[in-house]
Amino acid sequence: MRRAPSVILIVAAVVALGLVPVLAPPFYANLLVPFYGYAIALLGFNLLFGYGGLLSFGHAMFLGLGAYGAAVIAGVWGIKEFEIVLIGAALAGLVVALPLGWLVVRYTGIFFGMLTLAFGMLTHSVLFKFYHLTGGDSGMRVPRMRLLGLEFAAYNKIELMAGPFYYYCLALMLIAAFLMWRIVHSPFGLHLRSLRDNAQKALYLGVRVHQFRLAAFVISAIYGAIGGAILGFRTGLADPELVYWTHSGHLVFMTVLGGFSSFLGPIIGALALTLLQDQLQSYTQYWRFVLGAILALVVIFLPRGLAGLAADVGSFLSSPRRRPGPVQLPEHSQPGVLGPGLRRDDVA
Amino acid sequence: MTPLIETRGVSKHYGAFRALDDISIAVRAGEFVSIVGPNGAGKTTLVNLLTGLLVPTNGEVYFKGENIAGVGPVALATRGMARTFQLVQIFPQLTVAETIGAAVVTHQGKQWRLLSPLLADEAISARVAEIAGIFGLEQRLATLSRLLSQGEKKLLDVASAFALQPQVILLDEPTSGVSTAEKHTVMKTLVGAARAAGVDAIILVEHDMDLVASYSHRIIALSEGKVLADLPPDAFFADPAIIETVVGKRRGH
Amino acid sequence: MSAFGNILLGGIFHAAVLFLVAAGLQLVFGVQKIVNLACGSFYALGAYFGITFVTLALKAGMPQWTLLPLLLVAGAVMAVVGPPIERILRTVYDRDESFQLLLTFAMVLMFQDIIRFLWGANPTSLDNVQLVYGKIVAGDFIVPVYNLLVIAAAIGAAALIGLFLQRTNYGRLLRATAENRTMAEALGVNVRGIYAAVFTLGTLLGTVGGALVVPTAAASLDMAVEVVIEAFAVVVIGGLGSMAGALAGSLLVGLIRAGSLVFYPEFEILAIYLIVIGVLLLKPSGLFGKPAA
Repeated sequence: MRRAPSVILIVAAVVALGLVPVLAPPFYANLLVPFYGYAIALLGFNLLFGYGGLLSFGHAMFLGLGAYGAAVIAGVWGIKEFEIVLIGAALAGLVVALPLGWLVVRYTGIFFGMLTLAFGMLTHSVLFKFYHLTGGDSGMRVPRMRLLGLEFAAYNKIELMAGPFYYYCLALMLIAAFLMWRIVHSPFGLHLRSLRDNAQKALYLGVRVHQFRLAAFVISAIYGAIGGAILGFRTGLADPELVYWTHSGHLVFMTVLGGFSSFLGPIIGALALTLLQDQLQSYTQYWRFVLGAILALVVIFLPRGLAGLAADVGSFLSSPRRRPGPVQLPEHSQPGVLGPGLRRDDVA
Repeated sequence: MTPLIETRGVSKHYGAFRALDDISIAVRAGEFVSIVGPNGAGKTTLVNLLTGLLVPTNGEVYFKGENIAGVGPVALATRGMARTFQLVQIFPQLTVAETIGAAVVTHQGKQWRLLSPLLADEAISARVAEIAGIFGLEQRLATLSRLLSQGEKKLLDVASAFALQPQVILLDEPTSGVSTAEKHTVMKTLVGAARAAGVDAIILVEHDMDLVASYSHRIIALSEGKVLADLPPDAFFADPAIIETVVGKRRGH
Repeated sequence: MSAFGNILLGGIFHAAVLFLVAAGLQLVFGVQKIVNLACGSFYALGAYFGITFVTLALKAGMPQWTLLPLLLVAGAVMAVVGPPIERILRTVYDRDESFQLLLTFAMVLMFQDIIRFLWGANPTSLDNVQLVYGKIVAGDFIVPVYNLLVIAAAIGAAALIGLFLQRTNYGRLLRATAENRTMAEALGVNVRGIYAAVFTLGTLLGTVGGALVVPTAAASLDMAVEVVIEAFAVVVIGGLGSMAGALAGSLLVGLIRAGSLVFYPEFEILAIYLIVIGVLLLKPSGLFGKPAA
């Protein structure tokens, strides 16, 4: 694999993200904080979807878990160390995902999607209806927390978000991405991809189908909860909308927009949608329509998402003779559930 | 010597339908045993019982002295049994190296290494290269499986099964979809690879009587869920009644 | 006893409307193997258009008793959105089901804003019409005749769909296509035409369901998404693709909803989804569904 150009691009992207608080008004850094939350959550989500072939339509439940976890730990219990909140959110993700995953990984395809959607809706109605515990539709407050034990008392909320917390989240995302990169390129990741492609064959090669799917489910839940804790801190609120099925759909949207068949696709999708949604909301109140139209266009014309488009453009520019030819299938391994137009049951 | 694989009085019933009835067979180390029979004789059911996928209605299945009824493919893969399928089974989006690598990971017990880079593991890549070499796939290591030719897909399917370093391998019609001219070549590659990989016993499910006659030490014929014959090739092909049942009237044997 | 009767009838009325939406979902899934999240949007579209249509018609001097026929016509007219949407979905028929699901999710997002654009963000309702056909009163037991008519209409629709699928040639073709698309194609069945027809019929069931509900409840932007959640529960409980399942599931969901609204409102969706999860875990194919391969 040709790594060099992409390494340069990634370093450049990280440097650019690092410069946002310095060069741009605080508004933009503040805007990007949720992006980091989503990026972390989607890295986990795509382990399940892109690498494991399981499309969860209830994944927002874990983001909600992280946000509500932050509200409980920092707000109710008064432990205002963000690191402890992160650990607590991760633990909550683990504890919830283990039994839940044990139940749901026995199903694949549309049944897996429906079951996760059902659990998501169940969580939503619990959060929504038990207002004496969860604040109902007004949600729970997530107070301001200390980062690495530092109060940052001189900063107001916006300055905290656009400064220290911004860098904190950037660092978290880099760590999360590094760990996920190791996971998908490990022997475990290989087995996960093999059972996505052909579970029967994988079984006979000794791949522990249910255990591996469960592991992927749990890891994705932990990532989701950590992302949710960031979202909760940023908005200062954990509310049931976080868990609603349309929010789960939003997560899938970001992943597909960026391209689930590439490692960085979900991060690209999270960034693109965060910026896009902000722009659209300032232009028109009908931004959902535009987003829906974009999603439809991506699904129809760009099944490999923005990352796939970038890869095609990149290989077109770097090919010695720049001539339009038939779209070439990439020769080396792709983590995607689907190549272009490939059905999952397209197993010879 | 205890047989590697043994079934004792195994039956499999689906309601009133008796797919298999009171089957007792044994395969010993060093043997090449073929299972033949007309369609619907119960060959596939027997294979699924031998590979621990199905639980017998009655009787027991032993592998290396242990009852393996229904333990499932994963447990058997780690204990030393591998199988291939009649319809070629590949991972469309994994490369050749990754496909073989998946089996090597199982064999080396590294599947729970969540954070160690696969590419940096030399024990795995050495074994992958070795297996690929045996099957002549060493030039295709970085190719996506779905881009291989049909013949290469078949080889890869079998190669990944061999990568488990099994003691017994069950080949379910390995030459189906291969032209008559190439059948012997493919079989030679498989048998040679089995020797090179140190496989103790081969069980072949096959329709092609030429192949069965050329390679088997023993032939087990199934008919309507029962063992019709369990004989060495000479005795087997000397009995026209058996041949008639197994091959039908299609060919003028 | 009368409280029980009210709950029962309220539940059956809700079940009747829910059945129409769920039947549309089932039909499309049964034949096209697509889980159409936009079925709720069709329902909302039918509701909003029903209000507009009836309001205009009554202003134009149509007598009040034409309410039910007017609503049916309004629902039927709105089914025109079916064919163009089917045309868009056609681009992903050969793709993985996650893409199909996502495309219908895109429709949900778009329709929400289309409705907001055409009818505004505030809930609208059709006032003082629910009782045009009178009501039946027996002690505490009160039921508008309109509700009974809607229940009858849903039963009629169920019977018609059943007859259509079982007794007509086109229905048989449709079931054959659902069973085995490749085989049907090989036998010369116009699968493309069948898909378009099925999707339009599925749309029609949704829009009519939405139109029929407006005399009893306000139309709001949330109704699309809310009904999907319930219709979804219905099809999972009843079994994906099964009409009998849609009927049984609607009744169950309708009654649970009505019962919990009275006794313990917190439990409405909770109770429904606990049953959904129970069914998925114990019998993933649903009460009437065929086991998944």
